[in-house]
Amino acid sequence: MGYAFLGPNLLLMTVFLFAPIVWAMQLSLQETIGFGDPEWVGLDNYVRLLTDPVFWQSFGNTIIYTILTVPLQMAGGLGLAVLLNSVLPARGVFRTMIVLPMVISGVASAMIAVIIFYQSNGIINKVLVEIGLDPVEWQSAGAPAMASVVITAIWLRLGFNMIIYLAGLQGVSPELYEAARLDGASRWQQFRAITVPLVGPSTFFLLIMNIIASFQVFDLIFVMTGGGPGYSTSVLGTYAYRNAFQIREQGYGAAIGVVLLVVTLLLTYIQWRTSRTRDLVG
Amino acid sequence: MTHSTKRLLGATALVMSSAMLAGCAGFGGPSSEEAGPDSITFTTWASESEEAAFRALIAEFEAANEGSTVELNVVPYDQMFSGIDAQLSAGDAPDIFRVDYGNLGVYSSQNQLLDLSPYFSDEEAAAFVPAMWEAVSYEGVPYGVPHQTDVSALLLNVQMLADAGITDIPDTPEEAWTWDEFAEVSEALRASLPADKYPFVYNWQLGGTSRWLSWLFQTGGSLVEDDLVTPAIDSPEGARALDFTKSFFENEWVPPTSSVKSSGYADSVFAEQTAAMAFVGSFLVPDMEYFNEFEWTATFMPVDERGATDLGGNALVATAESDSPDLAAEFLKFMVSEDAMASFCEQTNELPTLISLADADLEFVTRPDLMPIFVQQAAAIEPSDVRQLTSPYMAAIAVALQDQLELAFVGGQSTEDTLANISAAIEEVTQ
Amino acid sequence: MTATAAPQLHSSNTRTSTRRPATRSSSRIHGSPWGLAARITIAVVVSAIVMFPLYWMLVVAFSPRGEVFEPGIRLWPSEFTFENFAKVFGQFPVADWFVNSVSIGLVATALTVVLNLLAGYAFARLRFPGRTALFMLALATMMVPVQVIMVAQFRLVADLDLVGTYWSVILPAAAAAFGIFLARQFFIAIPDELIEAARIDGAGPVRVFLQIVLPLSKPLIAVLILLTLMGSWNDFAWPLIALKDPDLFTLPIGLLYLKGQTTPDYNAIMALALISVLPMVVLFLAFQRYFVQGFARTGIR
Repeated sequence: MGYAFLGPNLLLMTVFLFAPIVWAMQLSLQETIGFGDPEWVGLDNYVRLLTDPVFWQSFGNTIIYTILTVPLQMAGGLGLAVLLNSVLPARGVFRTMIVLPMVISGVASAMIAVIIFYQSNGIINKVLVEIGLDPVEWQSAGAPAMASVVITAIWLRLGFNMIIYLAGLQGVSPELYEAARLDGASRWQQFRAITVPLVGPSTFFLLIMNIIASFQVFDLIFVMTGGGPGYSTSVLGTYAYRNAFQIREQGYGAAIGVVLLVVTLLLTYIQWRTSRTRDLVG
Repeated sequence: MTHSTKRLLGATALVMSSAMLAGCAGFGGPSSEEAGPDSITFTTWASESEEAAFRALIAEFEAANEGSTVELNVVPYDQMFSGIDAQLSAGDAPDIFRVDYGNLGVYSSQNQLLDLSPYFSDEEAAAFVPAMWEAVSYEGVPYGVPHQTDVSALLLNVQMLADAGITDIPDTPEEAWTWDEFAEVSEALRASLPADKYPFVYNWQLGGTSRWLSWLFQTGGSLVEDDLVTPAIDSPEGARALDFTKSFFENEWVPPTSSVKSSGYADSVFAEQTAAMAFVGSFLVPDMEYFNEFEWTATFMPVDERGATDLGGNALVATAESDSPDLAAEFLKFMVSEDAMASFCEQTNELPTLISLADADLEFVTRPDLMPIFVQQAAAIEPSDVRQLTSPYMAAIAVALQDQLELAFVGGQSTEDTLANISAAIEEVTQ
Repeated sequence: MTATAAPQLHSSNTRTSTRRPATRSSSRIHGSPWGLAARITIAVVVSAIVMFPLYWMLVVAFSPRGEVFEPGIRLWPSEFTFENFAKVFGQFPVADWFVNSVSIGLVATALTVVLNLLAGYAFARLRFPGRTALFMLALATMMVPVQVIMVAQFRLVADLDLVGTYWSVILPAAAAAFGIFLARQFFIAIPDELIEAARIDGAGPVRVFLQIVLPLSKPLIAVLILLTLMGSWNDFAWPLIALKDPDLFTLPIGLLYLKGQTTPDYNAIMALALISVLPMVVLFLAFQRYFVQGFARTGIR
C-alpha cells in the first residue's frame, strides 16, 4: 500500500533526479564538451580539482558566503521574530514588509541589486559620496563585491527565517515566561533560557535549509557578479556552471558538481547526527 | 482558516481552468521538431534591428518557397550556446543557428555541422571575401556561411571631448591617432573630467575578450605563429600591448568596472556618459542612437606599427542532424544572396561578406554618416589576423586570455607572468 | 515533533486561532522593559531598509529612460511615465510569458501538492519495506544542485519528446522533495487515536487518508500551495534550458532575456520585474496569515 501512495512520486524522482545524478557521476569521469565523442579519463577530473586554485578559491568563497549569510539570517530572523511577536502597533504590517522579499525571484532580486549597487552611479554610491564618504568598489574589488552579494542574500532570506521562528515562538507557552519572571530572571536570561532552547527545532530546520541554500547559491551570484571580479565571488555552483556550460568542460563541471553534492550531504549528515533534536526528522 | 483555504483552493481552480484554456499550446506535443521536410527551425540571438531584419527576410524566403516555413527562435545571447550545446547533446538541435566565428570551430571540429560543399560551387564560394570563407571552413570544408561581419571603431562624446579641448578628430584612416596621440587625448580628458568619469572604455568584456588582440595586432605582434598552435604572444610586441592596456587601469583612463570579466559593457558606459569615448562595434550603432541623449560621432581605432580592429560578426550554420538539409542549405544560400545580405546589413549597421557588396554603397538606416568610418576601419584587418581569430582553438584560448588579462588588469599580475601564462595555456589547448 | 503539536491539531477545527492568547501574554512579558518607542524604531528602520529595494524597483520602472543613472540623487521620478511598460509590452511577448508562467505554475502546483501529500503520508503513516532508506534518499535529493543534473535532465526530457512543452518544466518540478518533507512532518503529528479509530471502523488506508487525514490537512495544503507556486513562478535555471522557444518563456526568463539584449535597458527590465513579482506579492498579501499558521502546524519549528 505504501508503494501505491509513493509510486508516482518515486517514478518522477527516478527519472528526473536519480537517473541524472548517476549520469552526472559518469560524466565526471569523462572529458567531453557535451557533444561529439567523450573520452574516458577515469579520476583525472578529480585529480585536476586538487591542483586547481580556482576550485579551491570557489570552495573557500562558498564557505565564506555561508559563514557570513547563515548566522546573520538566523540571528536577524530570530530577533525580528521576537520583536514582532511582542505587542506593537501595526505589527502585521511590519511582518508583511519583512517577509515580502521572500516572494521575489532570485533573478528579479539580483537585477534590483545590480542597479542599487551599480558602482559608477548606483544609488548607494551616490548617497555615500553625498554624505562625504568614498564610493565603494562594489564591482571592481573582491571584498565589496562579496559584501554586496551577502547583503542581497540576507535581504532575500531574512523573512523566511523570521517566519519560521515566528511559527516556533507560537509553540512556546507564555506561562514559562511568567514563571521565569517571578523567579526574577532578566529579559536576556529569559531569552537565553526559554526562547532559544524552545525554538531549537526551528533552529535545526533553518540551519539545514540555510546551509543547503548557501552552499548551492547560484542565481544571485550568476546575475550580480558572474563570479567576478576575477574569481573573488566565484562559488562552487557558479564554477560548476561555468565549466559545464560556459567553457564546455562538461566532465570537469560535473566533477565539481559531484563534490558540491557530496559536501552538502556530508554537512547535513553531520548536523543531523550532532543535533539533539534530530527526532524531528527521524 | 477552513473557510479561507477553500477560497484559496477555489480561486486556484478557477484561475487554473482559464489558464489551461488560454495556454493549452504549451501542453501539446513539441511544436516544431515533428514538422516535415518543408519546415526548419532557426535559433539565434538578435538585437531589435537584427530581429526585425531576420523576420523580414524569412517572410521573403517563405514567399519564394511555397509551402516552406522557417520558425525563428530568438534567445538571450548569454544562454545561446549553453542551450545549443544541450540541444546538440540531446539530438534536439535546431536546423539552423547563428554562431560567431570564434565558436564555429568548436562545432565544426566535432562534426556537428552540415557539410555545405555539395551546395556551394567553387565559383559561389569565391564570391565571399576569402578570409571570411576561410573563417567558416574547417580542414577545407565549409560548415556555414559568413553572414555578416562587423568591426569596432572609436565612438566619441563630442561635448566631453570639446570640454577637454579636443576638437580635431581624425576622419581618414591615415590620420588615425597613434598610440602616443591617443594617450595624450586620454591624459587631457582625465585632467578635465571629474573622478567618476573616464576618458574611454574598451569593449573586451566577457564574450569580447579576444578584442584585446587588436592592440597586439597594432604593435605588429601576433597571438600564435602561422601554424596556429605555436604561441607567439610572449614577445616584445606582446609586452608592449599588455603594458599599454594595463596602463589604462593604472592611469584611470577606463572605469575600474570595465575589466574583461565585468559586465560593465562599453556601450552602456558610453550611453550613460560615464566615459567620453568608447570602442564599440558597428552593430551597436542602432542601440546607441536609441540610448544616447547627446551628440556623438566616431573615429578610427588608434594605430601603432599598423592599424587593426577586431573581427566581429557571425556565421549561419546548419546542423549535421537536420531532417531537412536541403531546405536548410537553401535557406543559408538565400540569407547570403546579394539582396538579402545588403538589406540585412543596411537595417542593422553591419558589414557584408560578399566581395560584390564590399564597395557597394549600402544605404544604412541608422547614422549613415558614421558607417564609412567602420567600413574603412575594416580594411585594417589582415588575413593573418582572421586566421588567428577564427582558429578552432580560439574559443578555448579566449577563456585563458580572459583569466590572465583579468589578473593583469585588476589583479596586479606582472606582464612577464601574464604572457608566460597565456603561452602555456595556448600550448595546453592546442596540444 | 511530538506531544506539543497534538493539542493544537485537535483544536484547529474549532478555534480559528490558537495564537492570540499566547501572543497577548508573551507581549506582556516583553512589553514594559523594552521601551515601546525603541521597538517601534527598530521595526520601522528594518522595514524601511527591507522595503527600499522594492521601492527602488518601482522608481526605476516608472522613471523616464536613464534618469536614475544621471548625476545627483533623485529618490522619485521627475515625471511618472509608462513608457518603460509600453516598450516592454510593445517589443516582447509579455502577455504570452505571463500566461506561460501562470499555466506552468498552476499545473505544477496542483500536481506537486497531490504527489507530496501522497508521498508524505506514505512516509509518515504507512509501513512498507525500505521506508526509512527511501525517505533518506528523497531528502538527499533536496541537496542536489540543479546545475549538476541539468544536462542529463535535458537529454531525458528530449528522449521523452517533451522539449518545448510545459511538461518539460512541470514534471521535474513535481519530483522535488521539499513538500514531501513538510507533509511528512505534518502527518506524523496527527494523533494515532484518530487513525486507529477509523481503522477499527473498517476503513482502509485510502479511506483514512481521504476522509480523516485530508480534512485535517488544510493548513498544510495552504503552505504547500503557496510555496510550490512561488518556487515554480520564480524558477529560472531549468526552464531556461528546457523551454527554448521564446513564445514559451516564463517571466523570469523574460527578465534575463531583456538583460541579455545588446545594451540592457534597466528601466524596461525593472518594468518587467515589477510585472513578474506583482502576482506573487498580491497572492502573498491575500494569504500571508496562513503562512505562519501553516508552518506552525506543519511542525517546522
